Amino acid sequence: MLFFSYFKELVGREVTVELKNDLAIRGTLHSVDQYLNIKLENTRVVDQDKYPHMMSVRNCFIRGSVVRYVQLPPDGVDVELLHDATRREARGG
Amino acid sequence: MVAGIKEFTARVERNGVDEPVLDAVNGEELMHVQPGVSIVLGNQPSEFPGTLYISTKQVIWLSDTDKAKGYAVDFLSISLHAVSRDPEAYTSPCLYTQIETEDDEDESDGSDSECNGDLDLSKVTEIRLVPSDPNQLDSLFEVFCECAELNPEPIQEGEEEHNWIFSADQLEDEAVGDDSEWPVLQNPSNSIGQSNGDHDLARTVLELQINDQRFEDAEEMEHETNNGRH
Repeated sequence: MLFFSYFKELVGREVTVELKNDLAIRGTLHSVDQYLNIKLENTRVVDQDKYPHMMSVRNCFIRGSVVRYVQLPPDGVDVELLHDATRREARGG
Repeated sequence: MVAGIKEFTARVERNGVDEPVLDAVNGEELMHVQPGVSIVLGNQPSEFPGTLYISTKQVIWLSDTDKAKGYAVDFLSISLHAVSRDPEAYTSPCLYTQIETEDDEDESDGSDSECNGDLDLSKVTEIRLVPSDPNQLDSLFEVFCECAELNPEPIQEGEEEHNWIFSADQLEDEAVGDDSEWPVLQNPSNSIGQSNGDHDLARTVLELQINDQRFEDAEEMEHETNNGRH
């Protein structure tokens, strides 16, 4: 549940979600669920080569299992906090 | 489950209206029915008229006129869905979906899925659902969200616990079994294999190091003329 909690903290921030099919979508993080399904608002496609028809949809729902990366705002990342939290989670705590 | 969209022809008539046959035995139920929807597969011309049936497991579109024509795609294959109102993207407001297909290697776009006039459903990567009433789009989007949440990735056997070991200190933690601080920085002189308490677990690590030829230094392997392993 670590990243679920982590992403909940980032709701309202601008993120870029890169899917496993190479599509990258930028938008405001609206919500996230326990499966890391992501809802974005005010989305726009970062690189339109592969999916030119997607253009600017207003909201989108992205299935958690197709996400490769979520690019975060630099000030949204507390490395020490993540480090500690992941260590605890790895230990099963 | 086959990834991607496929033909769906199993219908049953109820009260004079066609309905898709669902896997009720396994709990599949209808969540939403939307008549007056056309479906656009990839870059194909839109197909109309039809009715959209959204079940707890899949999205089904049945043609109103051709009883042998219908399509279905499992929610597990729907990578993303969105309301598209941009006229430059598509002439009418619609629900845009991206479909995960069996093999995404070398896929360019939906238009390549057609060959000699026959549409290859397994290569369709984009599907648009165009309701005749665009005001239905937002509720359609919400239903898709709800059903997507009902269909998370199935958990595979053996994937639950990784049992990764990060250092010998972790072995001590498992023996102690409480919420003690991760002792990484406190005992820098501890080398792997040295146990702080649980000798049985540490012995396994020690044995792994000593007996396994794979941990030999690279230089030693090169000098062994009879050794063909890498």
